[in-house]
Amino acid sequence: MEIVVAVKPVPEAEARLRASADGSGLETDGVKFVLAGYDESAIEQALLLKEAHPPSTVQVLSLGPAARCEEVLRAALALGCDRATLVEAAPSGPLADPMGVARGLAAALRGKKFDLLLVGKQAGDDEEGVVGSALAQLLGVGYAGFVTDLRFDAASGHFRFRRTVERGTELWEAPVPLLVGLQQAWNDPRTAKLPAILRSRKQPIERFDAASALEAAARSLGAAFALPAPRTGAKLLDYRSPQEAAEKLVRALREEAKVFP
Amino acid sequence: MSPTVLLVVEHLDGVPAPATLEAAGLGKALASPQGRLVVLAAGSSARKAAEALAAVGAGSARLAEEPAWDLCPPSALGSLVAATARAEGAEVVLIGGTCFGRDLLGGAAAAWEAAAAAGVTEASWEDGGLVVRRPVFGGRATETRRLEGGRAIVALRPHAFPPLDTTAASFEASPSPPSGAAPASTLRRTGFEPGASSAGPSLSDAAIVVSGGRGLRSPENFGLVEELAAALGAAVGASRAVTDAGWRPGTLQVGQTGKTVTPQLYVAVGISGAIQHLVGMVGSRVIVAINNDPSAPIFRVADYGIVGDLFEILPALTAEVRKARAG
Ligand SMILES: Cc1cc2nc3c(=O)[nH]c(=O)nc-3n(C[C@H](O)[C@H](O)[C@H](O)COP(=O)(O)OP(=O)(O)OC[C@H]3O[C@@H](n4cnc5c(N)ncnc54)[C@H](O)[C@@H]3O)c2cc1C
Repeated sequence: MEIVVAVKPVPEAEARLRASADGSGLETDGVKFVLAGYDESAIEQALLLKEAHPPSTVQVLSLGPAARCEEVLRAALALGCDRATLVEAAPSGPLADPMGVARGLAAALRGKKFDLLLVGKQAGDDEEGVVGSALAQLLGVGYAGFVTDLRFDAASGHFRFRRTVERGTELWEAPVPLLVGLQQAWNDPRTAKLPAILRSRKQPIERFDAASALEAAARSLGAAFALPAPRTGAKLLDYRSPQEAAEKLVRALREEAKVFP
Repeated sequence: MSPTVLLVVEHLDGVPAPATLEAAGLGKALASPQGRLVVLAAGSSARKAAEALAAVGAGSARLAEEPAWDLCPPSALGSLVAATARAEGAEVVLIGGTCFGRDLLGGAAAAWEAAAAAGVTEASWEDGGLVVRRPVFGGRATETRRLEGGRAIVALRPHAFPPLDTTAASFEASPSPPSGAAPASTLRRTGFEPGASSAGPSLSDAAIVVSGGRGLRSPENFGLVEELAAALGAAVGASRAVTDAGWRPGTLQVGQTGKTVTPQLYVAVGISGAIQHLVGMVGSRVIVAINNDPSAPIFRVADYGIVGDLFEILPALTAEVRKARAG
């Protein structure tokens, strides 16, 4: 099976967020970029499917500024992905126009054969979750997001999977090729071993120039980036009995915060 | 301005989803004073769904009533949305940002060659263009985006907008066939399991979340958290200490390696407030912390705190909530 995973570098969870000098986006200077959480799951799922269905290969793709993307591509190689492609695109802070990203990835994948294309359900920074379904439309393949329990039945050439939605869980079936926005892999993402990390430093990374694919008439541009005033700490409730604490809290939620149902 | 706003209806057997009613409210505001709000509904009960929306102020409806739309994946509606937006000359397409809306957003934007934004909590016209605001980084920051090019498709964060008041308005509904073709999809739905989530709201889109941590001490005691959640009509969440210990499934985990939630109210019980937990919930509008350690970091992000023994506080609080909601 030919599996492709598209991954996004995102600021690490502990990163201190600041607005850029012009105020339009996130200041990325000095910020460490890592694989987005759901992308780690997507890589894990790709590797599990590869192990379950030999011979298979996993190719990983990342679009954006070179240094940042190379970092996460090498992390993916260290985890066991076979090939890595950097889709070069000039602009973009982490919160770039998601449709531009989808067009760039589509340009890199057009005409290439794959059975499964995995993306994380959404990235931890901008939380758009737009790229997967846009990419599927651009490439003309079927798409489902919020996917768990993704299985491949080699005999029929069909995937079976679950889609967790608000009301419950849907069961689905689809032939190859398929694009999936993954909610969860069969198990927690593995961690890379030191020899593999060292080896990944020397592995080649293919390059694809997608700069021209990013332009379009309709686009979404970051105009401002604001951090909320830091919370000043809790108002601690004074009370003499648990009942009094409960009454005070319910009253505060109802009358002050106005969030009591 | 006289824009045309197309609202994509999510419905179950003709009953519009709450997220669609929220989007309808915004749609009406964006279309006023001189624009039009048009609804698009697909499936065998599309007419009923469109009528429900006509009653709350949609000007006209486009229907795709072939039963084939009932079972197709949301992503298959992308081309239909694009064709309808073109036929109507729409400037904006709105969808509720549920699993349905999120799965069709990108595809519709690609087919319509539009700009897209998801998770939107504010939207307005500024200088003739649509400007949206959305929480990012788990609510730790807010981003403003300008959607350029005269074609924008926007998915709204559930609960961020008040639903359209059903007594507010009355327009004529004039259903008309869409110009889109039947769904083309290789995906086939083979079953449905009404999940635990059907008992209450799901974690990701609940208006209230009650989460428990290691302070509960055992899987049996975790029931105290579930009782409070049930009394509030809330979804149940957990810290990783709880899911790692197997007290509750990993699907309930809130945080860096779990779900990001931004409810109106988040109640953290027996949770210390490690940074990896905080990044998954600091975007909540109001945060309540119950913990017996006054120096627990959770109190730094909370709006209201009760320093005390959760085993005493929780039963009293659950009882008080039941009383307040009954009265
Ligand atoms: C890479 C990584 C990713 C992680 N991802 C996540 C994640 O997604 N989500 C997450 O939650 N964690 C995550 N963690 C773990 C995180 O660092 C914390 O270990 C975890 O959140 C702690 O859970 P807790 O608050 O329930 O437990 P503790 O930190 O042990 O806190 C328990 C709290 O209960 C209070 N308490 C005890 N008894 C009582 C009582 N009787 N009454 C009232 N209060 C009481 C204590 O004062 C204490 O504050 C991650 C860690 C790493 C390294």
